[in-house]
Amino acid sequence: MTPAPGGAPSPRVAITGLGLVTPIGIGKDETWAALLAGRSGFAPVESFDTSAFSVHVGAEVRGFDASPYFRRLDPASVGRASGLAIAAARLALDDAGLDEAAMDPREAVRAGVAMGTTSGEPREVERFDDAVLAGALDRIGPEFLARYPCHTIAAAIARELGFGGVNAMLPTACAAGNYAIAHAADAIAAGRAHLMLAGGADAFSRITYTGFARLGAIAPERCQPFDRGRLGMIPGEGAAVIVLEPLARALARGARIYAELAGYGLSCDAHHMTAAHPEGEGAVLAMARALSASGAAPEDVAYVSAHGTGTPTNDRLEVLAFRRVFGAGAPRVPISSIKSMLGHTMGAASAIEAAACALAIATGRIPPTANLEDPEEADLDFVANRARERDVPLAMSNAYAFGGNNASILLRRWAPAGG
Amino acid sequence: MRRRVVVTGAGQVSPLADSTDGLAAALRAGASALSPIDLFETAGLPCRQACEVRGFDPAATLGARNLRPIDRSGRLLLVAAARALEASGLDAEAGRARGVGLALGTTFCSVRTIAEFDRRSLELGPSHASPLDFANCVINAAAGQAAIWHGLSGVNATLAGGETSGLAAIAYAALAISAGRADVMLAGGVEELSFESFLGHLRAGRLCGASDPQAGELPIPFDAKRNGFALGEGAALLMLEAREAAAARGAPVLAELLGHGEAFDPSGTEEGLAAAVERAIAAALDDAGLAPADVDCVFASANGSVAGDRAEALGIARALGARAAELPVAAIKAMLGEALGASGGLQAIGLLATLADGLLPGIRGLERVEAGFPLGGATAATRPVAARRGLVTAAGADGHAAALLLGGREDVE
Repeated sequence: MTPAPGGAPSPRVAITGLGLVTPIGIGKDETWAALLAGRSGFAPVESFDTSAFSVHVGAEVRGFDASPYFRRLDPASVGRASGLAIAAARLALDDAGLDEAAMDPREAVRAGVAMGTTSGEPREVERFDDAVLAGALDRIGPEFLARYPCHTIAAAIARELGFGGVNAMLPTACAAGNYAIAHAADAIAAGRAHLMLAGGADAFSRITYTGFARLGAIAPERCQPFDRGRLGMIPGEGAAVIVLEPLARALARGARIYAELAGYGLSCDAHHMTAAHPEGEGAVLAMARALSASGAAPEDVAYVSAHGTGTPTNDRLEVLAFRRVFGAGAPRVPISSIKSMLGHTMGAASAIEAAACALAIATGRIPPTANLEDPEEADLDFVANRARERDVPLAMSNAYAFGGNNASILLRRWAPAGG
Repeated sequence: MRRRVVVTGAGQVSPLADSTDGLAAALRAGASALSPIDLFETAGLPCRQACEVRGFDPAATLGARNLRPIDRSGRLLLVAAARALEASGLDAEAGRARGVGLALGTTFCSVRTIAEFDRRSLELGPSHASPLDFANCVINAAAGQAAIWHGLSGVNATLAGGETSGLAAIAYAALAISAGRADVMLAGGVEELSFESFLGHLRAGRLCGASDPQAGELPIPFDAKRNGFALGEGAALLMLEAREAAAARGAPVLAELLGHGEAFDPSGTEEGLAAAVERAIAAALDDAGLAPADVDCVFASANGSVAGDRAEALGIARALGARAAELPVAAIKAMLGEALGASGGLQAIGLLATLADGLLPGIRGLERVEAGFPLGGATAATRPVAARRGLVTAAGADGHAAALLLGGREDVE
């Protein structure tokens, strides 16, 4: 047999809760309304001084206080990304109609967490660096080790909720959310957990901003995926958490089922650290593997959530890969990038996009690509600027990352009869 | 249908040896990797010792290709991967054809690269921060570099998580292979010793040798006098393969991965961590369809930490019941220090050697286990054991627990 680095979870895995903390809204409803309305979250960066840069705009989660979402942990004991993640986790759990306080302890020890990130808690190392440069090593205390390592994000969620099952942190950069969702589905399918919170989180960071600025990748004002005039991405921050559980368990407890995770596909370009493969090789493989794992054909896909960062290179290669997979049918498949509104929320991005796909399936609406004035390829349907009413039985979400990591997931509408 | 997973090779870089055989010999001789730190300035710090890979010469293994874009974490990993590929008889071409994957455990990847990138930008301005260095600022940088260098086009995953991350990565790969999503994967971990990590651990009060910077102090896992750990570094990988794929290519089979388990302690207590270790071991046994009596030895992650060692010992004892009282136990961090992401792979490599020839490394410096200690088989002396199957366990300071059960040739055949 030829192994495919992708999988279709068996037993089937249902998505029953969504928690979002984004630059354009707190919670599923607020964020979804903003996405459908085409509202963007770009503003001058507040969390550090950008005067040394030639760009100054970011997509921060402004004025957000995570502390109301904490019941057990001290909010000051964790870093910013963990705070965003705990808020998203609690929103997701509430959305799924679950309450950890009411959970049987035998269930809680089999409930797990899988989270993705790009930079983890970069503000903690930035504080460390400030102390070093100030010649004040004595300012560095036990909090650095307690708050900096990225696995503290997944650990903080589990501590806050009392979950004793699998606890995984996947720092696979900008595809990390999809990696975490895939891993969570595998844990459920293997019988190692019966409830998983999965997603991604990243905090706005001067290190990340500096890096993308040095790559010349940051747009000065707005993000315009798939537009001929696009000037780059806009760094952002946020968190998204999705509740995954065996379909049978979701049905037994009468949970609302947004969608099923139909399958996923992973690949590695093994080509370049920061540039995608010139023929989109890895991206094509990831999509093909996800389709094959889901038992679906390209023509079954009703919506593609693009990685769509808005950099000239990403979008060109992504369209190339999309055409290679969807062939002559490509113009009939709506493909949009919500990074046009959210900016690039790094490790949170594909988790937020997975939630958007679940909502597209559940509500029959497709969020637009905002700021699209002069589409790169006139024959393709980028869902320009306006949300679309459309039945979405099957959605694909693609994510690509530094290190050549590619991850595609497919979400399918759950239907009681024959589903 | 679930496929069986075997180990067809291993490779490592550690302070004690270049080869897996060399590592096993050094552990059995009770060699210590502890030394004054050379890698960075420690003047003025109350602790100046660690287990450092000295005289590391990646070009000796990797050849003359340009290593400039690759940092210490990446280089440690590239060398360990080269050795594991070679040991399993997969050259670059065969590896490429087979789509070898990689699951990598780490805590920081390179916090040194990240912090230096930031400090350079702050001191000299953003235009002096190098885009090449930024590529290594992501936590999956080492895994990405290894994929590019060795043409690893399969699944490429990084799992972060301190002491347990190497076992989590091995479990990730085993799950992918057993479910048919991959045929062959490198799995293990990497961690580099850096000023940032060292100072972090020192300030957290985790390190031994912090009362007198001149004297030096060995970490002694499970000992009543234990006082913290020594920070280490390295890279260690197993080559995991579907049994039938390994057989089809006539690969050497060192062991079978019989089971794995993971758990988490949300309470942040010693008791909670012990319970998580117990659940992880129980899950690994259950996964393998085996009982405590089937476990012949344990390679523990005990590193000299006061609470962590006790929690791990309690968890092992509870999971294995009566078997625990006499169970032979190795704790190689007495010699290698706490290499975080690399530790799980190093422990597994230690176990592979014991499964091969029945010699279990002693715990250097162990004089007296504390009163009421539940593991009777922890001894200072290296000794022969009848080891058909062994456990690798890990307990992390942030609540993670993991267990891995390996079986030697009798299980494979």
